[in-house]
Amino acid sequence: MKLSFYPGCSLEGMANDYARSIIAVFKQLGIELIELEDWTCCGATAAHSLSEMMAVTLPARNLATAEKLGLDLVSPCANCFNRLRFSQVMIQKNIYDVPWQVSGDLQIHEMTRFLAEPDMIKLIKQRVTRPLSGLKVVCYYGCQMVRPPKITGFTDYENPQTLDLLARAVGAEVRDWSFKTTCCGASIGIGRKDIQESLTGRLLQKALQTGADAIVVSCPLCQSNLDIFQMDAGGSGIPVFYFTELMRLAFKKNDKAHKWFKVHFTDPVPLLKEKGFLT
Amino acid sequence: MSKINHTAQQETVDSGPSTERQLIGDRGNHLLDRIEGETGANISACYQCERCTNACPASYYMDIKPHQVIRYVQLGWHENLMRSSTIWVCLSCEMCTTYCPNEVDVAGVINHLRNTAAHSSIPPKERHLAVFHQTFLEQLQRFGRVNELWLMNAFNRKPHILKEKIKNGTLKKEIRLGYALWRKGKLHFIPRRSKAIKEIKEVYRRKRGEVF
Ligand code: SF4
Ligand code: SF4
Repeated sequence: MKLSFYPGCSLEGMANDYARSIIAVFKQLGIELIELEDWTCCGATAAHSLSEMMAVTLPARNLATAEKLGLDLVSPCANCFNRLRFSQVMIQKNIYDVPWQVSGDLQIHEMTRFLAEPDMIKLIKQRVTRPLSGLKVVCYYGCQMVRPPKITGFTDYENPQTLDLLARAVGAEVRDWSFKTTCCGASIGIGRKDIQESLTGRLLQKALQTGADAIVVSCPLCQSNLDIFQMDAGGSGIPVFYFTELMRLAFKKNDKAHKWFKVHFTDPVPLLKEKGFLT
Repeated sequence: MSKINHTAQQETVDSGPSTERQLIGDRGNHLLDRIEGETGANISACYQCERCTNACPASYYMDIKPHQVIRYVQLGWHENLMRSSTIWVCLSCEMCTTYCPNEVDVAGVINHLRNTAAHSSIPPKERHLAVFHQTFLEQLQRFGRVNELWLMNAFNRKPHILKEKIKNGTLKKEIRLGYALWRKGKLHFIPRRSKAIKEIKEVYRRKRGEVF
């Protein structure tokens, strides 16, 4: 199977650990990811905040490239996914003209939803050689992946299940909580640290209250917000994993895994050792 | 609609938004019509149940709460909205829109107001946030993609930003964080460029030709 892949700027920068784990996991699943040629930034929050026309136009070039390639597109970043879909919907509705040929019928997959399809879950379960049994996690989805439902296509936007299904497929125990889709503050910390800290802090507190050992996310910005917030907590924090890191861990016995987690602020290695997944 | 004569009341009616009443005049309907037309949001359907505000994670930090934003648009109090912190503090998390029983696109309205404010001469109440968005788009125009290190560097070099950051102590934290991120290999000194940068620059030229 082949898919076209739009990594987005974060995966080239702060979320390079996410990128590495995605590439490894897809390889093990036997799915080929073809990175869009010369892709450009989707515009993120800045574009739609300042000009809706830019928010429709900037992602459109990537849509045009992907349509030419003729493969379904998969986006690992919640924000990119949201912006690509928004642009596509606005073009379908003929609200803005874009300088590229975009028909608007490209299938854009949000990565967790693509992998949480029944067939894929079956495949993932087959690949698991080291189930992460005993690892208690909460799954955190954030905003952009699920809302607004008219753009994202999520029908269970109040209580999404994709990450839960994936975490369970690799053997983890998923705790339920009410903060799956509560905003982490996104990039508001740039100008208003106080808002950021209150929102992110509350999420961490609620996650700890569920008795979870770790948080599982799929959004680069959520991961860095939740992880960086704990920079000063040293070892006492709660690790924040990308779901693909857990999959990679469960797929293959690989003791180089210590190295992947060096880039996390909250070091998950002691936890993983305690659970017997690392030596 | 017949013209309402405001002048007779002008001396007695204070224009303060929160304490005194303002008349709904032609201008008021005009703003409502315009924003409804441009966003497709059915602002008229709002019955002030405040569910949007209750769902909003940032409402505590807003001077005009989400349900009030909708009311202000109905009333035509445009300038209050342009000067509010709300339009910059809003996280575009879409909780308000998702939970409105009348499907009022509250987040869409706030975003529309933010777009308008960005192209007005009114100084934004949350300057850092507005300047950050602007810097982001400038970086995007330069490379076609955005590199976190270059973005923060460009942001800090905007007028007054660095000075204000030194004053409130955030710069020290930022340097410490930047160093830690660099040690972890998460920051890259050399920005990645997209070869499609010419086409992106064209988009910006179109934008500048845009009439607001
Ligand atoms: S939730 Fe909808 S109807 Fe209720 S106050 Fe907000 S915009 Fe108005
Ligand atoms: S989109 Fe803005 S106004 Fe609406 S709930 Fe989120 S932060 Fe509040």
